Amino acid sequence: MTPPARLPRPARWLLRLLPMPRDARAEVRADLHELFENRQRDRGRFAAHWRLYHDLASLLFAPRPADRVSGSRSTVAFVRDAGADLRYAVRLFARQPAILVMTIVGLSLGLGIATAAFSIMNVAALRGEGLVDPDRAPGVLKTTDRSTSTTWTYDEFLHLREGSTRMQVEAVLTDAAQVRTTTARTTAADADAPSAGVAFVSGGFFAATGGRVSAGRPLEAADEKHAGPPPVVVSFVFWTSSLNSDPEAVGRTIRIGRTDATIVGVAERGFSVPGNRRLWLPLTAYGAVYDPAQITRTPDMDVQVFGRLLPAVSIPEAEAQLGGVTAALPGGGPAGELPLRARLDPHAGLGRASAADALAITVPVFVVIGLVLLLACANVATVLISTAITREREMGVRAALGASRWRIIRQLVTEGLALAAIAAAIGLMFARWGIPMIGTMIEAPAGTDLVPDLNVYLFLAIVTLVTGVAAGLAPAWHGRGADLVTPLKGGEGARQNRVAPRRLRSLLVITQAAVSVLLIVMAALFVRATFRAATIDVGFDATRLYAVSPGLGDPFAGAGAAISNFWPRAISELQAVPGIAAVTLAEPTPFAGTSRTSLTRDEPTRVVHFNGTRAEYFETIGLRILAGRSYTRDEVAAKAPVALVSQSVARAYWPDQSPLGQLLPPEIPVPALTGSPARPVIIGVVADVITARLHERNTFAVYEPLDPASERFAQLLIRVAPGATGAIDQASQRLRSIDPLANVRITSVAALLREETGRPRVLAILAGIVGAVAIVLCVIGLYGLTASVVRQRTREMGVRVALGAEPRDLLRLLMWDSLKPVVIGLAIGTAAAQIAGRILTDILFGVSPQDPVALGGAAMILLGAAALAVLVPTRRAAAVDPAFVLRQS
Amino acid sequence: MKGDHLGEFEEFTLLAVRALGDNTYAVPIQQYVEKVTGRPISIGSIYAALGRLEEKGFLRSSMSEAIAQRGGKAKRVYTVTASGLRTARDLHRVRERIWKTIAEEGRS
Repeated sequence: MTPPARLPRPARWLLRLLPMPRDARAEVRADLHELFENRQRDRGRFAAHWRLYHDLASLLFAPRPADRVSGSRSTVAFVRDAGADLRYAVRLFARQPAILVMTIVGLSLGLGIATAAFSIMNVAALRGEGLVDPDRAPGVLKTTDRSTSTTWTYDEFLHLREGSTRMQVEAVLTDAAQVRTTTARTTAADADAPSAGVAFVSGGFFAATGGRVSAGRPLEAADEKHAGPPPVVVSFVFWTSSLNSDPEAVGRTIRIGRTDATIVGVAERGFSVPGNRRLWLPLTAYGAVYDPAQITRTPDMDVQVFGRLLPAVSIPEAEAQLGGVTAALPGGGPAGELPLRARLDPHAGLGRASAADALAITVPVFVVIGLVLLLACANVATVLISTAITREREMGVRAALGASRWRIIRQLVTEGLALAAIAAAIGLMFARWGIPMIGTMIEAPAGTDLVPDLNVYLFLAIVTLVTGVAAGLAPAWHGRGADLVTPLKGGEGARQNRVAPRRLRSLLVITQAAVSVLLIVMAALFVRATFRAATIDVGFDATRLYAVSPGLGDPFAGAGAAISNFWPRAISELQAVPGIAAVTLAEPTPFAGTSRTSLTRDEPTRVVHFNGTRAEYFETIGLRILAGRSYTRDEVAAKAPVALVSQSVARAYWPDQSPLGQLLPPEIPVPALTGSPARPVIIGVVADVITARLHERNTFAVYEPLDPASERFAQLLIRVAPGATGAIDQASQRLRSIDPLANVRITSVAALLREETGRPRVLAILAGIVGAVAIVLCVIGLYGLTASVVRQRTREMGVRVALGAEPRDLLRLLMWDSLKPVVIGLAIGTAAAQIAGRILTDILFGVSPQDPVALGGAAMILLGAAALAVLVPTRRAAAVDPAFVLRQS
Repeated sequence: MKGDHLGEFEEFTLLAVRALGDNTYAVPIQQYVEKVTGRPISIGSIYAALGRLEEKGFLRSSMSEAIAQRGGKAKRVYTVTASGLRTARDLHRVRERIWKTIAEEGRS
């Protein structure tokens, strides 16, 4: 005989799965081995293998009879039992399709909402921007005794980079302005060419951040000395959306701003450092993108500096070394005499600020996920419990036939898991469909990659598992301590004594009711807030008012001069357009981002909005001057220390006298930007208007002449005369003709206002949808539960009727028993809504969380729905014929 | 469920044990049945049949001494019992009687 060749490895594995005792397996193994060798000798390898696996299959599915009674367990047996459980569950649910559909609908809605919420949060908070090991990539801050700055000049950065020996120093310039990009499909003249966030980075940026590319190569140090079109790395999102996932993208040329750029790489999916960037260009390409005259570099460019610590170097070590370099910088500090220092701050590194923002999103989203899942789980548990009540007899039979408790629990958990798995599949479809919608609702920045990634699927898998197991364990817990005999006898007596399961049932109903009420109250509050927001009078006419931003580059980084030059030409062009009634420069314009605000030391704390404007501002937005006068053009040009205040400021500081001629009170700090050391004199009082943050309804405002030096931060405001058509189109054309590559954007102030008022509406829709789902789930659960509980109590009702109870009494009794947990849940939910309302008070536009309409409405809806859900089965039970029932037993 | 009924496959297996001489084991039985029936027989079905025959008392089994072959593994060897032999013969006789009738009536 040939030396004993072993069985093939897969066969040995399969053999181990065979449900049989060890000695029997050894014997089978020897037999199979012998057969295998014989066949290999007689009929060749292939036939031997084929027959070997055939034999193994026959052993798996037709085990020896002797083994069946041996009671040994194995993986295969376990799987086989689970399969049987599953088949049984399918048969069971097929008999009760209504319950199946209800449960799956409820669970899939819950899982779908939770998944959608999680994937949004995943994008916002968990995924980050792809910066590897951010703790070892600190930001480098420029500090003096008096100030801390996050930016350095480009020359300073070059010195830092040369001098640093303990860490790799790199710089990035993120552009506040968007740059228009043009691919082959769009032409330069196309006004709708997409804009993209651009980062200008030093050569080692990708190495220091740990950014990788999925195609081509990252930017390298040599790219800083590029000749011809600058190299660009595009983000995964840009590649998919703007380049149609072109596999030949590397080497293509796209137009960015004023220059052609050659794509050298496509960044890996998920890399968007810093702050959702879509394009990375060398710092030296900055000039080319915005101004072809400056091909190489702009020395006055301000860049953000960060570093990657070399291995085994601590932050203090690197800081000390960098301090020496900073001290030797030519020019010293900004004033020349203050000693300049470099401070390393891991919390000022790239992508840190956005993480803090994201935390604000995370908490409420997690709360919503938790609530919805709790609701769905409670619902499924309720439905399964109500079926479990009717299945008590079945469980009794199983237990009597020798099924262990563990075996019965496994059956129930298998059912729960099967339901959860189906629901998860449907829920995932919901989520995939809903995620883009939610993304639009919460105003996710354009180009955010919202497609679910591995994290999301993992989350769904875990949640499904937990939900399924929990939903299965609830009826098992409910059924604990059940005796075997009574259900077999068909008797009803045993249940009356069991208190604990009833408590669980009540708890589930209470939970559902509380969550439903919470969500509905919130939805109602948001709806009220929407109406309230729409009625807020901002004090000026926002229609036919437009704001213009030039899109010429970052005013902080060298584009300032271009912008300052742009305005006079733009204003004279616009004044020539028929239908344009007034044009002015202002900073900020109404509802355009944040205005500079300042906290006063008063109690309650007040926020004052500062507006730098030109003289025509008041006429343009239609702001009435109640007393005094506006500043003149000469005063604006001369940066005269004059100011206008809003009526609220005047009333607060000079309640009994005219503010005209007074100095601006010292509690109101004047921003340093005005440049003049003198405190402004008040020359006029204007009507109260709301120009920022509608929900704050803050009318404390100070108007000052716009410093010509800060015109680069300003926007144009255009007032179109009533009845004029086409003025904005014409204005847009004229502005583009000044500079065809400027990314001029004209925004309607009315649209910005609508966006402000629309914020509670979005939340109202969201909370409303979830609240409606909550109510539906609650009603489904309540109906199923009441129906089965009432069915159990038929006998009791029969006895009561026989003893003289009226059907009316029965109805009252049953209704109250079923509705009691709902009422308790209502109270809890209302209390929770109070707390939530207080937290969200900012976006409620002054609608009180105790709003009687919202609270009353929510209570009515829930009680009404619950009463209906309870009434139908209860009426049936109350109409019981006592003779029939008593004869039955 | 048990009784003394003998299925076709069980009959083959029983006769194979007899034909191979007593104290034979699963592998030769499988090869023999496969050879005489001319169709592929899985080892699993042989085990199943052997198990059933043993339950019905037609076969007796014992573990053999460990031998050098098969890697020194012991094997379960089977012997036909008196009752097994009797049942097989009875079955054979029934068949013969039927065939005889068919032959007498000239229908074969």
